[in-house]
Amino acid sequence: MSANWESGVAEVAGALLTVQDLSVGFLTEQGLVRAVEGVSFDLEPGQTLGVVGESGSGKSVTAKALMNLLPSYAQVGGTVSFDGRDVFAMAASREKHFWGVEMTMVFQDPMTSLNPVKKIGEQIAESLRVHLGRSRRDALVEAGDLLEQVGIPEPGKRLSQYPHELSGGLRQRVVIAMALACGPRLLIADEPTTALDVTVQKHILDLLDYLRRTRNMAMILITHDLGVVKGRADEVMVMYAGHTMEEAPTTTLFDEMRHPYTEALLETIPRIDTPSHTRLVPIPGRPPEVIEVLDGCPFAPRCRYSIARCLTDRPGLTSHGAGHLCACHAPVGTPSGTEARAANESAGTTAAGLDMEQFTRHVPVADLGQLGAEG
Amino acid sequence: MPADTSEHTDGEKLPEVVAGPDADRAAPRRLGITFWVAIGWVALVTGAAIAAPLLPIADPDEIGIGPRASGPNWDQWFGTDTVGRDMFSRTIWGARVSLMVGFFSIVAGFLVGGMMGVVSGYRRGWTDLVLGFVTYIMLSFPTLVLFLLVILLFGQGLWTVTAALSIVVIPSVSRLARAITIAFAEREFVAAARLLGATNRRVMVREILPNVLIPMSALLLLGLGLTIVAEGGLAFLGLSVADGFSWGKMIQLGAGLRTLQTAPWVAFFPIGAMFLTVLSLNLAGDQLRQYFDVRELGIGGR
Amino acid sequence: MTYLMRRLAFMFGVLVAVTFLAFSATNVIGDPLFNVVGFYASIDCDAVIAGEMEDVIGTVAGTGIGECERVIEAREKYHLDDSLPVRYGRWIVGMAQGDFGESYANQMPVSSILAERLPKSMLLMGVSMVVALGVSIPWGVAAAYRANQRFDRASTAGAFGLLSIPGFALAIILFYFFVVRWQIFPSRYMDDNIFSRLHSLVLPAASLGLPLAVVYQRLLRTDLITTLQEDFVITAKAKGLSDRRIMFRHVLRPSMFGMITVVGLNMSALIGGTIIIESIFSIPGFGRELYVSAIRDDITVVLAGVTVLATAFVVINTVVDLLYSYLDPRVRRAG
Repeated sequence: MSANWESGVAEVAGALLTVQDLSVGFLTEQGLVRAVEGVSFDLEPGQTLGVVGESGSGKSVTAKALMNLLPSYAQVGGTVSFDGRDVFAMAASREKHFWGVEMTMVFQDPMTSLNPVKKIGEQIAESLRVHLGRSRRDALVEAGDLLEQVGIPEPGKRLSQYPHELSGGLRQRVVIAMALACGPRLLIADEPTTALDVTVQKHILDLLDYLRRTRNMAMILITHDLGVVKGRADEVMVMYAGHTMEEAPTTTLFDEMRHPYTEALLETIPRIDTPSHTRLVPIPGRPPEVIEVLDGCPFAPRCRYSIARCLTDRPGLTSHGAGHLCACHAPVGTPSGTEARAANESAGTTAAGLDMEQFTRHVPVADLGQLGAEG
Repeated sequence: MPADTSEHTDGEKLPEVVAGPDADRAAPRRLGITFWVAIGWVALVTGAAIAAPLLPIADPDEIGIGPRASGPNWDQWFGTDTVGRDMFSRTIWGARVSLMVGFFSIVAGFLVGGMMGVVSGYRRGWTDLVLGFVTYIMLSFPTLVLFLLVILLFGQGLWTVTAALSIVVIPSVSRLARAITIAFAEREFVAAARLLGATNRRVMVREILPNVLIPMSALLLLGLGLTIVAEGGLAFLGLSVADGFSWGKMIQLGAGLRTLQTAPWVAFFPIGAMFLTVLSLNLAGDQLRQYFDVRELGIGGR
Repeated sequence: MTYLMRRLAFMFGVLVAVTFLAFSATNVIGDPLFNVVGFYASIDCDAVIAGEMEDVIGTVAGTGIGECERVIEAREKYHLDDSLPVRYGRWIVGMAQGDFGESYANQMPVSSILAERLPKSMLLMGVSMVVALGVSIPWGVAAAYRANQRFDRASTAGAFGLLSIPGFALAIILFYFFVVRWQIFPSRYMDDNIFSRLHSLVLPAASLGLPLAVVYQRLLRTDLITTLQEDFVITAKAKGLSDRRIMFRHVLRPSMFGMITVVGLNMSALIGGTIIIESIFSIPGFGRELYVSAIRDDITVVLAGVTVLATAFVVINTVVDLLYSYLDPRVRRAG
């Protein structure tokens, strides 16, 4: 076969990807928009990092910064090193055979990600020909193999079809095949299943997981849904308004979360074991406009735990155990956090003026007059 | 249902940057100084043309007012042509024909073409097919030959030429009006009007027409530029108004090899006048089009 | 297949309508007989021959009866006594066999006039198209690539300027500088060999092609900028493809629709412009011939011209439609 991922297995025991203090700002007429601020993480070969956040959290921009896909009016700071190489230096020197080869990306909407006027086989073969110098015929054969590896039936036939002839799920598999063509060591998947049917979502996620394991490929899985990363990621990073809120190995995050935002996110996931008619608890309010430079913690206005300090001092990342970082003044499960929450609940409001009443849970009553989840 | 976290995000749209590649469409919603300067020139020329008989300028037809083929000087600001006529005065008088023919032909073309397009787009069916066929024939008929035929049949009077030129304009206008009408006819407020019992004619006039007129009036200035150029081309071939002269005719007179060698300004002043006027119309028309946000639909053809 | 059939049927319908209109119109203007026999056409020769009328003609050109015989001969030769539809039918049949009749003015068969002059016009139009596309495509790509930066802004300003100069004015300006003052190009069409022909055609083709290039470039640029916003361009970048490859292999093809539509529609303009340009640069092409013939009522030539031009227009538009379906496979399905 073609892939050159085998070399990655016996690599030095260092992180594959190291991101330090990454920041991205956009120069607009209204001023500097800070999309990402102070993001740092490491990624070992063959591991999956889940990046979770709402829209505007900066998760996609982070990915694009790594992939050198940001527009010219973006200002990037910090360092990113991949296998010891300085990624930004490579971007500046227009390195030709890095992105699309060692580090690739899969996007959200497979319908628009593929070129509608080119055959699928050609689109996959293109990477092989440009980066690995394969001949046209060889590249097409390999493309067929790749289609098979991603679980597409009748791969030979698909090669000469156009994107609009396939269903959404199949298209996304094609996109994945395209990303895998040159045997990358890191695959970034930005909301790979959001645009797909629910039934298909699981299959695609399983496929990504399978490919990661068999190729010893590292993966960054970006999503807004915390439920997606459970069981599929080794580590999770929660982002909000361009900042890292919490970072931890997955099980730790789910069992011992520290950040109020993480806790709130968990509570928004409908669970099969909650009694019916339980009201889901949404996070009130909206993420801040990224133009504003905030004093204090960006989540404070929506946080149930906020205290006065949260409005003035931006919390830095503090350690809460092995590999567990959290940026909060009143973290969940700590004495200061519990105290803050209780105080807010009895006062009925937080330091930021958030109304605490809306969080009281409805206990299900055998009341015939009560309708569904929405009151 | 979880409110904020499950929004369908499409990979986070990067913030709107006005300096980005989309600036052409996120255009300034104001008419800038370019617009007013351009309109100013057009107004100046139009004013001079209308007031020509009253202005203290030389008689444009009088031969020998100045020395033959002399360049611009203090007596004749634009010099004289090969028979000694005052070029400055001629340029102003030439504007009269150029502007009149250009203006009336585009207005007539818009009116007729607009009506055809609206009716065609609204009623669809047979009306649309027939009108579409007629339009296509008008488009296929070589423009100049069409013009030749009309003129040879009816002579070269001012209104004849204007009518012929408006015929050339009609198919493109009709096509445009039809496209806009179709887009609007499917909107709800039209259905609402019909439900309330409005007749077809009423709907066309009261609901559709205003919505068609706005974008099209923005294109009027651009169209005027085109008709002035068209008239110029025809006059150059001797096919325009026989009685009187326009810029195109002046250019023709100045375009001979001999004249270009000895007195190039005879051709270049009318060329300059036409260029500045059409440029102003194009600039103003384009600003207007952006202001009203009309999609760039190539009218094509001359 | 039925789509193709319908297009062809439509094409024929249009051609029939156009030619019939032209035929009827031209036979209503002045009297074609006039071109052949001069002012004798106005005399009622039937009456003269029957002896009912006295011949009004003087003795300058010989006996009256002789002249009237000539008139009647001409009437028969050109079938001018038949009704309009019949004459139209006869003309169509002749045309299908390549016979366009004879020019009234100089008795030469029109088909030979066509054969001699049409190639020159076509060469001019061809070179103009090459100029137009050759200038507009790179220009459009360059402008879209650095959209709204200095090159693009400057070229938009330049484009506006060029758009505002009518083709014939541009021709005169070019003629003045390159022929009269600097004498780089000849003042007449030099027909000696292919090189001299092309050399003579540089200015005319530029006069025709540059204004078109500006229109095409603007359209192409707009469409390119739109396409560049599409998601698949980001994917292509993520694949590590070079900007050049992305632009030419991924973005260009889907962006050419607007431009191609206008190229088809602009055929009329191109042809009209050819007539003017041929006059200015003294090129013995068909455009000039057509114009001159129309002025002197040489109907057969005019009709031949109208037919050729209308056919060209319709055929080109049909080709454009078919080209669409090649460029965008999604259209193929819709048929």
